[in-house]
Amino acid sequence: MIATLGALALFAATATAPAAPEDLARLTAANDLLAKQVALAKGKEFYLLLDPSERTLHLMLKGALLQRYTVTGLEVGVPRVLYRTRADAADWEGRVWDGGRLDPARPLDRVEVQAPPPTAEGTELEVKVPPTPEEKYPVPSRYHIRFTGGLSIEIRPPADAETSKGFWSKISEGFASWWADARAASRSAPTDTVRLHVVLSRKDAESLYRALPPNTKLLVVPPRS
Amino acid sequence: MIQDPFALGEDTPPERRRWVSVVVPKPSRGRRLALLVGLAALVATVWIAAAGTGYAYSPAPARAKVPTIDVPQDAAGAKRLHTKLQTQNKALAAALKKMAPSGTYVVVDQTQNRLYVMKDDDIARTAVCSAGSGMVLKDSGGSRKWVFDTPRGVFKVRNKIANPIWKKPDWAFVEEGKPVPKNPADRFESGTLGKYALYLEDGYMIHGTLYTRLLGRSVTHGCIRLGPDDLQAVWDAAPIGTPVFIF
Repeated sequence: MIATLGALALFAATATAPAAPEDLARLTAANDLLAKQVALAKGKEFYLLLDPSERTLHLMLKGALLQRYTVTGLEVGVPRVLYRTRADAADWEGRVWDGGRLDPARPLDRVEVQAPPPTAEGTELEVKVPPTPEEKYPVPSRYHIRFTGGLSIEIRPPADAETSKGFWSKISEGFASWWADARAASRSAPTDTVRLHVVLSRKDAESLYRALPPNTKLLVVPPRS
Repeated sequence: MIQDPFALGEDTPPERRRWVSVVVPKPSRGRRLALLVGLAALVATVWIAAAGTGYAYSPAPARAKVPTIDVPQDAAGAKRLHTKLQTQNKALAAALKKMAPSGTYVVVDQTQNRLYVMKDDDIARTAVCSAGSGMVLKDSGGSRKWVFDTPRGVFKVRNKIANPIWKKPDWAFVEEGKPVPKNPADRFESGTLGKYALYLEDGYMIHGTLYTRLLGRSVTHGCIRLGPDDLQAVWDAAPIGTPVFIF
Protein backbone atom coordinates (compact mmCIF):
# COMPACT_ATOMS: atom_id res chain seq x y z
CA MET A 1 0.00 0.00 0.00
CA ILE A 2 2.78 2.39 0.99
CA ALA A 3 4.65 1.40 -2.18
CA THR A 4 1.60 2.19 -4.29
CA LEU A 5 1.13 5.49 -2.57
CA GLY A 6 4.80 6.30 -2.94
CA ALA A 7 4.78 5.46 -6.64
CA LEU A 8 1.74 7.60 -7.33
CA ALA A 9 3.11 10.54 -5.39
CA LEU A 10 6.57 10.08 -6.94
CA PHE A 11 5.00 10.21 -10.38
CA ALA A 12 3.47 13.55 -9.49
CA ALA A 13 6.80 14.87 -8.23
CA THR A 14 8.81 13.79 -11.27
CA ALA A 15 6.32 14.97 -13.85
CA THR A 16 7.08 18.63 -13.29
CA ALA A 17 8.82 20.40 -16.14
CA PRO A 18 7.12 19.98 -19.53
CA ALA A 19 3.38 19.49 -19.19
CA ALA A 20 2.97 17.10 -22.11
CA PRO A 21 -0.61 15.97 -22.78
CA GLU A 22 0.36 12.37 -21.96
CA ASP A 23 1.85 13.42 -18.61
CA LEU A 24 -1.29 15.34 -17.77
CA ALA A 25 -3.42 12.33 -18.67
CA ARG A 26 -1.29 10.05 -16.51
CA LEU A 27 -1.45 12.47 -13.60
CA THR A 28 -5.22 12.62 -13.96
CA ALA A 29 -5.37 8.82 -13.87
CA ALA A 30 -3.09 8.69 -10.81
CA ASN A 31 -5.32 11.22 -9.02
CA ASP A 32 -8.41 9.27 -9.96
CA LEU A 33 -6.89 6.11 -8.47
CA LEU A 34 -5.84 7.93 -5.31
CA ALA A 35 -9.33 9.41 -4.96
CA LYS A 36 -10.80 5.91 -5.19
CA GLN A 37 -8.41 4.64 -2.52
CA VAL A 38 -9.34 7.54 -0.27
CA ALA A 39 -13.04 6.77 -0.79
CA LEU A 40 -12.44 3.10 0.05
CA ALA A 41 -10.44 4.01 3.15
CA LYS A 42 -13.26 6.32 4.30
CA GLY A 43 -15.86 3.55 3.97
CA LYS A 44 -16.83 0.93 6.52
CA GLU A 45 -16.38 -2.05 4.23
CA PHE A 46 -13.37 -4.29 3.92
CA TYR A 47 -11.62 -4.08 0.57
CA LEU A 48 -9.08 -5.93 -1.50
CA LEU A 49 -6.35 -4.05 -3.30
CA LEU A 50 -4.91 -6.08 -6.16
CA ASP A 51 -1.68 -4.64 -7.52
CA PRO A 52 -0.40 -6.74 -10.44
CA SER A 53 2.76 -4.64 -10.76
CA GLU A 54 3.72 -5.31 -7.14
CA ARG A 55 2.30 -8.87 -7.30
CA THR A 56 0.32 -8.31 -4.13
CA LEU A 57 -3.22 -8.74 -2.96
CA HIS A 58 -3.96 -6.79 0.22
CA LEU A 59 -6.97 -7.12 2.49
CA MET A 60 -7.62 -3.68 3.93
CA LEU A 61 -9.94 -1.67 6.14
CA LYS A 62 -9.85 2.08 6.70
CA GLY A 63 -6.50 2.31 4.93
CA ALA A 64 -4.93 -0.28 7.23
CA LEU A 65 -3.25 -3.36 5.86
CA LEU A 66 -4.79 -6.45 7.45
CA GLN A 67 -3.40 -9.28 5.34
CA ARG A 68 -0.81 -9.43 2.59
CA TYR A 69 -0.95 -12.18 -0.05
CA THR A 70 1.70 -12.71 -2.71
CA VAL A 71 0.33 -13.13 -6.22
CA THR A 72 2.47 -15.56 -8.21
CA GLY A 73 0.42 -15.38 -11.40
CA LEU A 74 -2.33 -13.27 -12.93
CA GLU A 75 -4.32 -13.79 -16.11
CA VAL A 76 -7.42 -12.13 -17.48
CA GLY A 77 -10.20 -14.35 -18.78
CA VAL A 78 -13.25 -13.55 -20.91
CA PRO A 79 -16.14 -15.89 -21.71
CA ARG A 80 -16.26 -17.45 -25.14
CA VAL A 81 -18.46 -19.97 -26.91
CA LEU A 82 -17.11 -21.87 -29.93
CA TYR A 83 -14.09 -19.52 -30.01
CA ARG A 84 -16.33 -16.43 -30.14
CA THR A 85 -15.64 -13.98 -27.32
CA ARG A 86 -18.81 -12.89 -25.55
CA ALA A 87 -17.58 -9.93 -23.51
CA ASP A 88 -14.89 -7.29 -23.72
CA ALA A 89 -12.27 -7.29 -20.96
CA ALA A 90 -12.18 -3.53 -20.68
CA ASP A 91 -12.42 -1.10 -17.78
CA TRP A 92 -11.89 -3.63 -15.03
CA GLU A 93 -8.74 -1.91 -13.77
CA GLY A 94 -8.95 1.21 -11.68
CA ARG A 95 -12.61 0.61 -10.94
CA VAL A 96 -14.16 -0.17 -7.56
CA TRP A 97 -16.07 -3.45 -7.57
CA ASP A 98 -18.34 -4.21 -4.65
CA GLY A 99 -20.43 -6.98 -3.12
CA GLY A 100 -17.57 -9.53 -3.17
CA ARG A 101 -18.72 -12.97 -2.03
CA LEU A 102 -17.10 -16.37 -1.94
CA ASP A 103 -18.26 -19.09 -4.33
CA PRO A 104 -18.58 -21.76 -2.98
CA ALA A 105 -19.64 -19.94 0.17
CA ARG A 106 -17.84 -20.59 3.44
CA PRO A 107 -20.17 -22.72 5.56
CA LEU A 108 -21.58 -21.10 8.67
CA ASP A 109 -23.00 -23.70 10.99
CA ARG A 110 -24.22 -22.23 14.24
CA VAL A 111 -24.74 -24.52 17.19
CA GLU A 112 -27.91 -23.69 19.10
CA VAL A 113 -27.91 -24.57 22.77
CA GLN A 114 -30.87 -24.49 25.10
CA ALA A 115 -29.81 -23.62 28.63
CA PRO A 116 -30.99 -25.90 31.45
CA PRO A 117 -33.50 -24.53 33.98
CA PRO A 118 -31.62 -22.60 36.67
CA THR A 119 -30.83 -24.34 39.94
CA ALA A 120 -28.91 -23.06 42.97
CA GLU A 121 -25.97 -25.42 42.28
CA GLY A 122 -26.05 -24.85 38.55
CA THR A 123 -25.67 -27.32 35.67
CA GLU A 124 -22.57 -27.24 33.54
CA LEU A 125 -23.47 -27.32 29.85
CA GLU A 126 -21.75 -30.06 27.96
CA VAL A 127 -20.01 -28.23 25.14
CA LYS A 128 -17.91 -30.21 22.70
CA VAL A 129 -14.44 -29.02 21.80
CA PRO A 130 -14.99 -27.14 18.52
CA PRO A 131 -13.00 -28.01 15.40
CA THR A 132 -9.93 -26.08 14.34
CA PRO A 133 -10.39 -23.57 11.48
CA GLU A 134 -8.73 -26.09 9.15
CA GLU A 135 -11.31 -28.72 10.10
CA LYS A 136 -14.21 -26.29 10.13
CA TYR A 137 -13.59 -24.62 6.78
CA PRO A 138 -12.25 -27.04 4.16
CA VAL A 139 -10.98 -25.02 1.22
CA PRO A 140 -11.80 -26.05 -2.38
CA SER A 141 -8.79 -26.25 -4.68
CA ARG A 142 -10.42 -23.63 -6.91
CA TYR A 143 -12.82 -20.94 -5.75
CA HIS A 144 -14.12 -17.55 -6.82
CA ILE A 145 -14.71 -14.18 -5.25
CA ARG A 146 -17.60 -12.80 -7.29
CA PHE A 147 -18.35 -9.08 -7.41
CA THR A 148 -21.50 -7.28 -8.45
CA GLY A 149 -21.23 -6.23 -12.07
CA GLY A 150 -19.65 -9.36 -13.47
CA LEU A 151 -16.03 -9.43 -12.33
CA SER A 152 -14.74 -12.43 -10.47
CA ILE A 153 -11.41 -13.43 -9.03
CA GLU A 154 -10.62 -17.08 -9.50
CA ILE A 155 -8.16 -18.33 -6.92
CA ARG A 156 -6.08 -21.37 -7.74
CA PRO A 157 -2.99 -22.84 -6.15
CA PRO A 158 0.10 -23.09 -8.40
CA ALA A 159 0.16 -26.03 -10.81
CA ASP A 160 3.07 -27.73 -9.03
CA ALA A 161 1.00 -27.85 -5.82
CA GLU A 162 -1.32 -30.35 -7.54
CA THR A 163 1.33 -33.04 -8.04
CA SER A 164 0.14 -35.06 -5.07
CA LYS A 165 -3.17 -35.77 -6.83
CA GLY A 166 -3.69 -38.93 -8.84
CA PHE A 167 -4.23 -39.06 -12.60
CA TRP A 168 -7.96 -39.80 -12.46
CA SER A 169 -8.49 -37.20 -9.75
CA LYS A 170 -6.84 -34.57 -11.98
CA ILE A 171 -8.90 -35.70 -14.99
CA SER A 172 -12.20 -35.53 -13.10
CA GLU A 173 -11.36 -32.15 -11.54
CA GLY A 174 -10.28 -30.81 -14.93
CA PHE A 175 -13.53 -31.94 -16.50
CA ALA A 176 -15.59 -30.51 -13.64
CA SER A 177 -13.77 -27.16 -14.00
CA TRP A 178 -14.29 -27.11 -17.76
CA TRP A 179 -17.97 -28.01 -17.41
CA ALA A 180 -18.53 -25.25 -14.84
CA ASP A 181 -16.70 -22.73 -17.05
CA ALA A 182 -18.54 -23.81 -20.20
CA ARG A 183 -21.90 -23.47 -18.47
CA ALA A 184 -20.96 -20.08 -16.99
CA ALA A 185 -19.76 -18.80 -20.38
CA SER A 186 -22.74 -20.15 -22.35
CA ARG A 187 -25.50 -18.54 -20.31
CA SER A 188 -27.54 -15.80 -21.97
CA ALA A 189 -25.79 -13.41 -19.54
CA PRO A 190 -22.42 -15.00 -18.69
CA THR A 191 -21.83 -15.49 -14.96
CA ASP A 192 -18.52 -13.59 -15.12
CA THR A 193 -17.92 -11.03 -17.85
CA VAL A 194 -14.30 -10.70 -16.73
CA ARG A 195 -12.43 -13.23 -14.69
CA LEU A 196 -9.08 -12.62 -13.05
CA HIS A 197 -7.21 -15.84 -12.58
CA VAL A 198 -5.02 -15.24 -9.54
CA VAL A 199 -2.43 -17.78 -8.47
CA LEU A 200 -1.61 -17.80 -4.76
CA SER A 201 0.42 -20.25 -2.72
CA ARG A 202 -1.74 -22.96 -1.20
CA LYS A 203 -1.27 -21.42 2.26
CA ASP A 204 -2.34 -17.96 1.07
CA ALA A 205 -5.26 -19.35 -0.95
CA GLU A 206 -6.56 -21.23 2.09
CA SER A 207 -6.00 -18.26 4.37
CA LEU A 208 -7.91 -15.92 2.04
CA TYR A 209 -10.84 -18.33 1.74
CA ARG A 210 -11.15 -18.71 5.49
CA ALA A 211 -10.64 -15.03 6.29
CA LEU A 212 -12.48 -13.06 3.60
CA PRO A 213 -15.22 -10.94 5.20
CA PRO A 214 -18.60 -10.68 3.44
CA ASN A 215 -19.35 -7.87 0.96
CA THR A 216 -15.73 -7.05 0.32
CA LYS A 217 -14.86 -4.43 -2.30
CA LEU A 218 -12.07 -4.64 -4.85
CA LEU A 219 -9.81 -2.18 -6.58
CA VAL A 220 -7.32 -3.38 -9.18
CA VAL A 221 -4.39 -0.99 -9.50
CA PRO A 222 -3.55 -0.37 -13.19
CA PRO A 223 0.08 -0.85 -14.26
CA ARG A 224 2.25 2.19 -13.62
CA SER A 225 3.82 2.78 -17.02
CA MET B 1 -50.06 -62.08 -23.13
CA ILE B 2 -48.11 -60.16 -25.76
CA GLN B 3 -44.99 -61.80 -27.02
CA ASP B 4 -41.90 -59.86 -27.94
CA PRO B 5 -41.63 -60.43 -31.70
CA PHE B 6 -37.83 -60.10 -31.60
CA ALA B 7 -37.31 -62.53 -28.72
CA LEU B 8 -35.57 -65.71 -29.79
CA GLY B 9 -36.05 -68.93 -27.94
CA GLU B 10 -35.28 -72.54 -28.44
CA ASP B 11 -38.71 -73.02 -29.96
CA THR B 12 -38.25 -70.21 -32.52
CA PRO B 13 -38.94 -71.63 -35.94
CA PRO B 14 -35.96 -71.65 -38.35
CA GLU B 15 -37.65 -69.29 -40.88
CA ARG B 16 -37.87 -66.60 -38.21
CA ARG B 17 -34.26 -67.08 -37.26
CA ARG B 18 -33.38 -66.44 -40.90
CA TRP B 19 -35.47 -63.27 -40.88
CA VAL B 20 -33.52 -61.92 -37.87
CA SER B 21 -30.21 -62.66 -39.48
CA VAL B 22 -31.30 -60.65 -42.54
CA VAL B 23 -32.36 -57.60 -40.45
CA VAL B 24 -29.04 -57.39 -38.58
CA PRO B 25 -26.42 -58.03 -41.19
CA LYS B 26 -22.81 -58.19 -40.17
CA PRO B 27 -21.24 -54.89 -41.40
CA SER B 28 -18.58 -55.18 -44.00
CA ARG B 29 -15.02 -54.22 -43.21
CA GLY B 30 -15.33 -51.00 -45.20
CA ARG B 31 -18.46 -50.02 -43.33
CA ARG B 32 -16.81 -50.70 -39.99
CA LEU B 33 -13.90 -48.50 -40.97
CA ALA B 34 -16.24 -45.73 -42.11
CA LEU B 35 -18.14 -45.99 -38.83
CA LEU B 36 -14.90 -45.74 -36.88
CA VAL B 37 -13.73 -42.72 -38.86
CA GLY B 38 -17.14 -41.04 -38.41
CA LEU B 39 -17.02 -41.63 -34.67
CA ALA B 40 -13.48 -40.27 -34.44
CA ALA B 41 -14.53 -37.20 -36.43
CA LEU B 42 -17.47 -36.66 -34.09
CA VAL B 43 -15.26 -36.93 -30.99
CA ALA B 44 -12.71 -34.56 -32.53
CA THR B 45 -15.44 -32.03 -33.43
CA VAL B 46 -16.88 -32.13 -29.90
CA TRP B 47 -13.37 -31.84 -28.47
CA ILE B 48 -12.49 -28.82 -30.62
CA ALA B 49 -15.83 -27.14 -29.85
CA ALA B 50 -15.35 -27.84 -26.13
CA ALA B 51 -11.83 -26.36 -26.19
CA GLY B 52 -13.24 -23.14 -27.60
CA THR B 53 -15.97 -22.84 -24.98
CA GLY B 54 -15.38 -21.58 -21.47
CA TYR B 55 -12.98 -18.79 -20.51
CA ALA B 56 -10.08 -17.64 -22.68
CA TYR B 57 -7.18 -16.40 -20.58
CA SER B 58 -4.42 -14.02 -21.53
CA PRO B 59 -1.69 -12.33 -19.46
CA ALA B 60 -2.72 -9.19 -17.58
CA PRO B 61 -1.81 -6.04 -19.53
CA ALA B 62 1.63 -4.73 -18.64
CA ARG B 63 0.96 -1.16 -19.75
CA ALA B 64 -1.70 1.14 -18.41
CA LYS B 65 -4.26 2.68 -20.72
CA VAL B 66 -3.66 6.41 -20.84
CA PRO B 67 -6.99 8.20 -20.55
CA THR B 68 -7.88 10.94 -22.96
CA ILE B 69 -8.41 14.35 -21.37
CA ASP B 70 -9.05 17.82 -22.64
CA VAL B 71 -5.70 19.58 -22.53
CA PRO B 72 -5.60 23.36 -22.99
CA GLN B 73 -3.91 24.27 -26.24
CA ASP B 74 -1.90 27.16 -24.83
CA ALA B 75 1.25 26.47 -22.77
CA ALA B 76 0.10 28.64 -19.85
CA GLY B 77 -3.21 26.77 -19.58
CA ALA B 78 -1.45 23.41 -19.69
CA LYS B 79 0.94 24.53 -16.96
CA ARG B 80 -1.95 25.70 -14.78
CA LEU B 81 -3.67 22.36 -15.20
CA HIS B 82 -0.43 20.55 -14.37
CA THR B 83 0.03 22.56 -11.19
CA LYS B 84 -3.59 21.94 -10.20
CA LEU B 85 -3.26 18.19 -10.76
CA GLN B 86 -0.02 18.06 -8.79
CA THR B 87 -1.61 19.88 -5.87
CA GLN B 88 -4.54 17.47 -5.99
CA ASN B 89 -2.15 14.51 -6.08
CA LYS B 90 -0.26 15.69 -3.01
CA ALA B 91 -3.49 16.37 -1.11
CA LEU B 92 -4.93 12.95 -1.93
CA ALA B 93 -1.69 11.12 -1.05
CA ALA B 94 -1.55 13.00 2.26
CA ALA B 95 -5.22 12.20 3.00
CA LEU B 96 -4.65 8.51 2.34
CA LYS B 97 -1.53 8.41 4.48
CA LYS B 98 -3.37 10.16 7.30
CA MET B 99 -6.18 7.59 7.26
CA ALA B 100 -3.86 4.59 7.50
CA PRO B 101 -2.78 3.78 11.06
CA SER B 102 0.77 4.80 11.86
CA GLY B 103 2.92 2.96 14.37
CA THR B 104 1.43 0.01 16.24
CA TYR B 105 -1.97 -1.48 15.55
CA VAL B 106 -3.55 -4.85 16.26
CA VAL B 107 -5.18 -7.10 13.66
CA VAL B 108 -7.37 -10.08 14.58
CA ASP B 109 -8.26 -12.78 12.06
CA GLN B 110 -11.28 -14.20 13.86
CA THR B 111 -11.94 -17.19 11.60
CA GLN B 112 -8.36 -18.46 11.77
CA ASN B 113 -7.87 -17.38 15.38
CA ARG B 114 -4.72 -15.35 14.85
CA LEU B 115 -3.78 -12.00 16.33
CA TYR B 116 -1.09 -9.83 14.75
CA VAL B 117 0.69 -6.92 16.34
CA MET B 118 1.54 -4.70 13.37
CA LYS B 119 4.13 -2.00 13.22
CA ASP B 120 4.01 0.23 10.14
CA ASP B 121 2.48 -2.46 7.90
CA ASP B 122 4.90 -5.16 9.10
CA ILE B 123 3.99 -8.03 11.41
CA ALA B 124 5.82 -7.55 14.72
CA ARG B 125 4.23 -10.54 16.46
CA THR B 126 1.86 -13.35 15.55
CA ALA B 127 -0.21 -14.94 18.32
CA VAL B 128 -2.64 -17.84 18.42
CA CYS B 129 -5.88 -16.58 19.93
CA SER B 130 -9.47 -17.69 20.35
CA ALA B 131 -12.42 -15.71 18.99
CA GLY B 132 -16.20 -16.02 19.17
CA SER B 133 -17.72 -19.48 18.79
CA GLY B 134 -20.76 -18.31 16.83
CA MET B 135 -22.89 -20.38 19.22
CA VAL B 136 -26.48 -19.37 19.94
CA LEU B 137 -27.58 -19.72 23.57
CA LYS B 138 -31.25 -19.67 24.52
CA ASP B 139 -32.40 -19.45 28.09
CA SER B 140 -34.53 -22.25 29.53
CA GLY B 141 -37.73 -20.29 28.90
CA GLY B 142 -36.71 -19.54 25.32
CA SER B 143 -37.41 -15.83 25.77
CA ARG B 144 -33.81 -14.60 25.61
CA LYS B 145 -31.13 -15.40 23.09
CA TRP B 146 -27.42 -14.59 22.80
CA VAL B 147 -25.18 -15.00 19.74
CA PHE B 148 -21.50 -15.38 20.60
CA ASP B 149 -19.86 -13.67 17.62
CA THR B 150 -16.77 -11.51 17.59
CA PRO B 151 -17.74 -8.31 15.78
CA ARG B 152 -15.89 -7.28 12.63
CA GLY B 153 -14.61 -3.75 12.15
CA VAL B 154 -12.25 -1.23 13.64
CA PHE B 155 -12.09 -0.62 17.39
CA LYS B 156 -9.75 1.12 19.79
CA VAL B 157 -8.19 0.06 23.06
CA ARG B 158 -10.35 2.11 25.41
CA ASN B 159 -8.90 0.94 28.69
CA LYS B 160 -6.26 -1.40 30.09
CA ILE B 161 -6.68 -3.20 33.39
CA ALA B 162 -4.13 -5.39 35.15
CA ASN B 163 -5.53 -8.28 37.25
CA PRO B 164 -9.02 -7.63 35.90
CA ILE B 165 -12.15 -8.69 37.73
CA TRP B 166 -14.89 -9.95 35.46
CA LYS B 167 -18.39 -8.64 35.91
CA LYS B 168 -20.30 -11.64 34.67
CA PRO B 169 -23.13 -10.82 32.29
CA ASP B 170 -26.51 -12.60 32.39
CA TRP B 171 -25.54 -15.20 29.79
CA ALA B 172 -22.68 -16.46 31.97
CA PHE B 173 -25.22 -17.49 34.66
CA VAL B 174 -27.75 -18.82 32.14
CA GLU B 175 -25.03 -20.93 30.54
CA GLU B 176 -24.08 -22.38 33.91
CA GLY B 177 -27.72 -23.13 34.73
CA LYS B 178 -27.67 -20.72 37.64
CA PRO B 179 -30.19 -18.00 38.46
CA VAL B 180 -29.16 -14.49 37.43
CA PRO B 181 -28.22 -12.71 40.70
CA LYS B 182 -30.16 -9.66 41.78
CA ASN B 183 -27.23 -8.31 43.79
CA PRO B 184 -24.59 -6.82 41.41
CA ALA B 185 -21.85 -7.79 43.87
CA ASP B 186 -22.56 -11.46 43.11
CA ARG B 187 -21.47 -10.96 39.52
CA PHE B 188 -17.79 -10.28 40.15
CA GLU B 189 -15.24 -13.03 39.51
CA SER B 190 -11.45 -12.71 39.61
CA GLY B 191 -8.85 -14.79 37.80
CA THR B 192 -11.02 -15.79 34.85
CA LEU B 193 -9.70 -13.08 32.49
CA GLY B 194 -6.02 -13.79 33.14
CA LYS B 195 -3.42 -11.21 34.06
CA TYR B 196 -4.57 -8.37 31.81
CA ALA B 197 -7.63 -7.10 29.97
CA LEU B 198 -7.63 -4.58 27.12
CA TYR B 199 -11.14 -3.16 26.81
CA LEU B 200 -12.39 -2.46 23.31
CA GLU B 201 -16.06 -1.46 22.92
CA ASP B 202 -19.48 -2.84 23.88
CA GLY B 203 -17.99 -5.14 26.51
CA TYR B 204 -15.57 -6.85 24.13
CA MET B 205 -12.04 -7.36 25.42
CA ILE B 206 -8.69 -8.89 24.65
CA HIS B 207 -7.85 -10.92 27.75
CA GLY B 208 -6.17 -14.05 29.08
CA THR B 209 -7.68 -17.46 29.66
CA LEU B 210 -7.67 -20.44 31.97
CA TYR B 211 -8.25 -22.72 28.97
CA THR B 212 -5.01 -22.35 27.02
CA ARG B 213 -5.49 -25.79 25.41
CA LEU B 214 -8.42 -24.32 23.46
CA LEU B 215 -6.38 -21.50 21.91
CA GLY B 216 -6.59 -21.61 18.12
CA ARG B 217 -10.25 -22.66 18.23
CA SER B 218 -13.36 -20.51 18.13
CA VAL B 219 -14.64 -20.95 21.66
CA THR B 220 -15.25 -17.55 23.22
CA HIS B 221 -18.39 -15.54 23.84
CA GLY B 222 -17.07 -12.77 21.57
CA CYS B 223 -13.91 -11.62 23.35
CA ILE B 224 -10.40 -12.38 22.11
CA ARG B 225 -8.47 -14.75 24.37
CA LEU B 226 -4.68 -14.97 24.39
CA GLY B 227 -2.09 -17.13 26.08
CA PRO B 228 -0.06 -15.49 28.89
CA ASP B 229 3.09 -14.67 26.87
CA ASP B 230 1.20 -13.21 23.94
CA LEU B 231 -1.09 -11.27 26.29
CA GLN B 232 1.97 -9.76 27.95
CA ALA B 233 3.39 -8.77 24.53
CA VAL B 234 0.11 -7.15 23.42
CA TRP B 235 -0.20 -5.40 26.78
CA ASP B 236 3.30 -3.97 26.35
CA ALA B 237 2.87 -3.01 22.69
CA ALA B 238 -0.64 -1.52 22.64
CA PRO B 239 -1.24 1.65 24.64
CA ILE B 240 -4.73 3.09 25.13
CA GLY B 241 -5.96 4.40 21.78
CA THR B 242 -4.30 1.66 19.72
CA PRO B 243 -6.54 0.71 16.77
CA VAL B 244 -7.73 -2.91 16.72
CA PHE B 245 -8.94 -4.26 13.37
CA ILE B 246 -11.03 -7.43 13.50
CA PHE B 247 -11.93 -9.30 10.32
